[in-house]
Parts: sequence; structure tokens; C-alpha cells
Amino acid sequence: MNSHYTIMHPPVPSPTPLPDFLSPQLEARAFGRARNRILATLLRQTFAHSRFRITLVVVLASLLWGGMFWMFADGFWFLESTITQPDTHALAVGGVFGAFFAALMLMLVFSSGIILYGSLFRSREITFLLTIPARTERVFLHKLQEAIVLSSWGFVLLGSPILLAYGMVSAAPWYYYALLLPFIVAFVYIPVSIGAIICLFVVHRVPDNRLTVLVGGLVLLVVGGAWIAWGLLTGPKNDLLTPDWFQEIIGRLRFSDYRLLPSWWLSTGLLDAASGAWSESILFFSLMISNALFFRQLALWQAGRTYRTAYSGLYGKTMRRKRLRPMRFDRLLSWLLGPLPATMRLMTIKDLRLFRRDPLQWSQFLIFTGFLMIYFFHIPRFTYGVSSIAWVNMVSFLNLSVVGLLLSTFTTRFVYPMISLEGRRFWMLGLLGVPRRTILWGKFYFAAAGSIIPCSGLVLVSDLMLGVSNLIVLSHQLTCLMLCLGLAGIAVGLGAWLPNFRYESPSRIAAGFGGTLTLVVSTLYILIVVLLTALPTHFYLVAKYANLSGDVPGQTGVQWWLGFWLAAGTAASLILGAITTLVPLRIGSRALQRMEF
Amino acid sequence: MIEFNNVTRNFAHKVAVDGLTLKVPPGELFALLGPNGAGKTTTIKMLTGLLRPTAGNVRVRGYDLASDVRRATHAIGYVPEEPFLYDKLSGREFLEFAAEMRGLDRSTVNDRIRRECRYFELDDFIDDLTETYSHGMKQRLVFASAMLHDPPVLVIDEPMVGLDPRSVRMVKDRLRKLAAVGTIIFMSTHTLAIAEEIAQRIGIMDRGRLHFLGTVGQLQSELASSHTSLEPLFLELTAGNNGRPRKGMDCKLKIE
Repeated sequence: MNSHYTIMHPPVPSPTPLPDFLSPQLEARAFGRARNRILATLLRQTFAHSRFRITLVVVLASLLWGGMFWMFADGFWFLESTITQPDTHALAVGGVFGAFFAALMLMLVFSSGIILYGSLFRSREITFLLTIPARTERVFLHKLQEAIVLSSWGFVLLGSPILLAYGMVSAAPWYYYALLLPFIVAFVYIPVSIGAIICLFVVHRVPDNRLTVLVGGLVLLVVGGAWIAWGLLTGPKNDLLTPDWFQEIIGRLRFSDYRLLPSWWLSTGLLDAASGAWSESILFFSLMISNALFFRQLALWQAGRTYRTAYSGLYGKTMRRKRLRPMRFDRLLSWLLGPLPATMRLMTIKDLRLFRRDPLQWSQFLIFTGFLMIYFFHIPRFTYGVSSIAWVNMVSFLNLSVVGLLLSTFTTRFVYPMISLEGRRFWMLGLLGVPRRTILWGKFYFAAAGSIIPCSGLVLVSDLMLGVSNLIVLSHQLTCLMLCLGLAGIAVGLGAWLPNFRYESPSRIAAGFGGTLTLVVSTLYILIVVLLTALPTHFYLVAKYANLSGDVPGQTGVQWWLGFWLAAGTAASLILGAITTLVPLRIGSRALQRMEF
Repeated sequence: MIEFNNVTRNFAHKVAVDGLTLKVPPGELFALLGPNGAGKTTTIKMLTGLLRPTAGNVRVRGYDLASDVRRATHAIGYVPEEPFLYDKLSGREFLEFAAEMRGLDRSTVNDRIRRECRYFELDDFIDDLTETYSHGMKQRLVFASAMLHDPPVLVIDEPMVGLDPRSVRMVKDRLRKLAAVGTIIFMSTHTLAIAEEIAQRIGIMDRGRLHFLGTVGQLQSELASSHTSLEPLFLELTAGNNGRPRKGMDCKLKIE
């Protein structure tokens, strides 16, 4: 059947003339004004409603910054006093700066590529911006500038204490400080623009393999980083801090000593400024600026040519339907959780499925885990052949604290948002007739069970590597259990008490007031529990060691008191653990009962 | 004039839009209908420059959406199904940004914002942050932003979702008036009653192909049906084939 009809249309009035396009300058101003307004509102809201959070962030960031400044200043003083030869000293500092900036440059290329992929191809804002008559290059530049700000704040936080400490130690002239920020901004532009170019190229040319490229890049980054770290850490272990040792280490840092790397221009330019060679420094600064502008223009040119095509090409790839079948892992989990009530079992399996299918969730999880692994692989280095019981004991408790602190970031980032995320699906859970307490306790069991096994394992491995006594091993396992239960209780309880139903992203939920409070309470809890067990154990073992050596006679009374203190500290940590687990859960349970969705 | 010239769009191995040829002249209110997954949204995304056709071309006022996207989108006001608003801007600030980007000067921007606020009754909340808006308020604001520059082409994806009856009436009246002064209205909808009430022509798509193009009366005579309203006709057309148009049903209207 194929018929043709004719219809009459009303007479058409003459079309209204459309206004002219905005000039590039006015277009830039319009984007800038909108961005400034958004920033002003954000700041106003933050200062009006999130004073606690902002104070906490400022205090913690200041502490971190101050600690790093002190550490680097001390390090530079040490280098100056140890390496008296000016050439070797300059080489050592140049090597450290070069390696630091080269690593940072690589990370900036990678992180800006990922940030720009999200903002140029996956954000809702971009679907709006691409339908208004803005220049494609302007839309791209708008997002590139955002990526520069997002990428460089970490640089400023990490880099500024090093650079300021060096300036102070080397008594740098004023223009060293004046050039710091322009140097950093010009430097950041280069890797971010390169990241943008790679991102556009990958999406435009190999959209089907973008995940392979991402994973390949990650693997290269990790393997490269591990190779360099291995090279440094397997350096000579004898004659530490001697001129030969320094020469050896400087030699191993040569990987960043390529004249074509912007990181080399940055480190050399800054070191020249610090040593008073201002004309050489200005030369490197000009080189940096011209390269930053070149890469920015190159990225803009590429965006003008390929961005819209790449966006259009990618659209179909992200729309592809996924057919999912039950995995063996789910069946195994279902079998393992068999003893649990059916509702709790099903909810736990559902939570794990959602987690597994959200790449953002598990990639952050893997990054956290990676840091933990790197730390534990280096535990043997901490001994440095020192056999002092006090030292080994301290390191073992330090390990326990590190496990606790990392676990608290896990529970804040992944467990705290669970109830908030459930809020959006509560229409379904509410209709199923599952008691709200069951939902809460289900999350708690899930978080506690998920953390006990890896944390206890890690602490046990670290204790075995350090060769601590059985008493310490037992004390650590008990403390670790308390930490896992308490941290899970805090995260789940506060998650139910202070939920955030506004955001769908777990990271945004965790970044709010409730998440910040969870992190603070968790940190305090870890410190108190570890101190309650660490201090008595430490003194008990020191006294016992001294007594065995026969150095301190007549210490039976003291030994008894220390033994009592040890038992009391352990009991106190058990009581504190029970309170910290149950009280937040009780508060959360009540809040959940009252909650209206 | 909106022109789809033998437009095809593939997603991997799936053909989302298959050889679409369609012309919508000035002053027409056109409604694109079809079941879920028919290709309506892909068609609209190609019309607004977000997606590019795999084959063929889409033109608005003679400008190709692939090679001259800026001129083409300059002529379009777009109301998406899920509108994007900047949470941390007020409604007025959002309208100012949208109007500025369309090249309107300062005094015209203020006049047009006043005009749209009056029409869509935005005055009560125009200075509040958009993060506090309900879905209906957001939808009204997006309608206002799409109409600020008096576009000759208005593209609307699901126009009435989230609107209360009064706002629905407001929008319907406005669309009729705009069509009467020569604006092309191209809308995609599942609300058959709205299409029937205000559209001059309808197109029924399925699996990427345009299966019917004409008026409701023409659809009725085509199906030789006793029904006169669009809903039973649409259901009749799509019945017996798992919600898909009947085999062999392919009737198109030639615009002259």
C-alpha cells in the first residue's frame, strides 16, 4: 500500500530575521559569566550551609600542607648539609624535581583524558551546549578549562609545599616565588591539552576500543611506576646517605632527565630562578608558555575538526543494550549466604551486582586497594635491619592504623552512601514489606564481613613479615575485628541518620556533610582504639624485654601494673568497639523507621 | 523548511533510522509518533545537530546539520524530553545565558525574558535556583528558553511530560499561535490525544522506518476504519504484530 495525498498549508508570514552570531569575544564572555555565577552560588551556599565541612576541609588540608612543607624543608636541609659539593647537590635536587614533575605530568595526561571523556562525551550539560549555536571550539575550550582547574588543584596542594620549602631552604630571590604560579599554570596546560588530544583521537578513531586503550594506559602507568619505584627501592642498602649512595640514586632518577620534556623545563627553570639565574629561568618560562599555547591551539584545532563527529559516533556505542546472565559468582555467593534470611541474602547480592556493574565504583576501589598493596609490599623496608622490639612494635601498630584509616576511607566512600542510594529505590523495597531494620542490618553485615577478611589477612601478613610476638598478633587481630565492626557500624548508622537523597552519584553523597562526619568519627575511633591497645602493649613488651635482659631488677610490681594496663586497655577497646558499633546502628535504625520517602 | 533526505542512522549493527525522507514546511505543526525504539529520538537528535546521519542529510532552512550546524541550530529552539538546567543558576540567569548565546542584545534579552515569564507564568520562581524547581517548572522554563529568540523552527521531544493541565493548555495555545505565524513545530510524542488535537500532520515510525505520513483523516481512510479518533487508529495500525505496524502498511503523503 503506498498512497499519496496533497494538503493545503496556510499562507506563510515572512520569517523573523534572526540576530547575528555572537562574536568570539562575546561568546567567551557569556560562558565566563555563567561560570562565574555558578561558582559564586556554590561558594555562597558552601559558606552558608556547610561551615563545618569547609572548616574541616581547610583544617585538614592545612595540616596536610604544613606536614608536607615541614617534611620537605627538613629533607632539603638534610640534603644541603649532607651533600656539600654544589654540583652534586644541584644534581640531586634537579633529579628529585625532574622525577616528581615527570610523574605528575604523566598523571595529568591520564587524569585530564578521563575527566574530559566524562565532560565532553557523557555529561548532560554537553547535550545542551551542542544544541545551541555556540562555536564547537568554545564548547571544547569551556570543558578544557574546567579540566585544567580540576587537574591542577592537586598539583598546587602537592607541589606548592615542595617548591616553597626549596625556595626557603635555598634562600631563593623574590622572582622565584613570583614565577611559581605562572610556571605551574603554563606547565599544567601542556599535559591537559595532550590528554584532551588523546581523548578526542581515541573517541574519534577507535571508539569501540576506548576501554582497551584506557586499561592499556592504566597498565602502562602502573607497570612504569612500579618499575621506577622498584629501581629506586632496590638501591644499595648499605652505606646509606653517603656520596656514593646519592650518586647511585641520582643515576636512577635520570629517566626524567630528557631535554624535550616539559617537566625538565619546569624543574630547570625553577632551579635557575632559585639560584639567581633569572635570564635562564625566563628563557625556560617562555619555552613553556609557547608550548602551552601551541598544544592548546592544537587541541582546539582538533576539536573543531573532530569533536562533533566523535560525539555522534560514540552515541550509538554507549546506547548498546547489554544482555546480562546470572554469573557463577552470584550463584556461589547465594550458596555462601544461604544461612542468612532470604531478604538479606537477596539484598546483599543486589548490592554486589550494582557495585560490580559500575566501573566508577570498582575503579576507585581498585585504586584504594592498590595504595594499600604498595604500602604493605614495602613493610620489610621499614625494618632496615633494626631489631629493636620498640621499633618493630611501633611499625606493627602503624600498619594497623594504616589499615584502619584506609578502611575508613572505604567505608565512607562505599558504605556510607548505600542507604542514600537505597532511598531512590525505596518505592520497591517499601512495597516488598522488608522490615527497615533488616535493610540496615543487611548493609552492616555486608560491610563488616567484606572488610574483616581482607583487613585481618593484611594485618596478619604484616605481623608475620615483621616477626612480632604472638601476643601482638593476637592483640592486632582483636583490634582489627573491633575496627571492622565499628567502622561498618559508623558508616551504616550515620548513612541512615544523615542520608542524602539529592544525588545519584555515591562519590557526591560521600563528599557531603554526612560523609565528612563519618570520616572524622571513624578517624577518631581508629586513633582511640589503636592507642588503647598499642600503648599498653608497647610498654609491657619494653618492660618485659628490659627485665629479660636483666637490666632493670625488681620490676615485678611494674610488670603487674603494665599487665593490668594491657588487659584494661584491651577491655576498654572492646567496650568502645561495641558502643561504636551498636549506638550508630541504633540511631540509624530509628531514623530509618521514621524516614518518609 | 525542515528536510530529511533519505536519512539513515546506524548504531553498530542496528539501523535506528532507515531511509527517512520527510519535508516539513513553514507554518506546519508536525507530530512524530511511534512505539518505543521506533527511532523518534534519534530523528530528533539528528535534527538538533547532536547526531550525524550515517547516510543522507538533514537540512533546516537550507543549512545542512552536518556541515553547517551552527547556522542550522541558530534557527532552532529545542525542548528535550529531559531538559538540562544549571542547578546553581537561577531561572533568570539561565534564560539570560540562553538568550545571549542566541545573539540577542541586552535590552532585547530583558524584554523577551519578561514576555516569556508572563506567558509561562514564571514570575513566582524565576529568581530561585533551578535546583529547587519541580519537573513542571523546569519544563516551562525550558519552553521559555527555546522561544526567547523567536526561532523559525521549534523542535520538541515529548512536550507535555510533567506539565499540569493549565500548563498543557498554555503550551498548546502557544504552539498553535506560533504555527499560525509560520513557525515550524516538529514534535515527538506518545500522547496521541495531543497529536490529534494540534498536529496538522502526523508521521508514524517503527524500527527506523516511516510507515505513515498524513492527516488523521487520511489514516482513517487508509485503514478503512470506522474509528475517527487517533488512538484506536494507531492501535489498529500497530495491532496484531506485537505492537508493530501491520506488514505492508506504508502510506506516505506527498507535500506539494
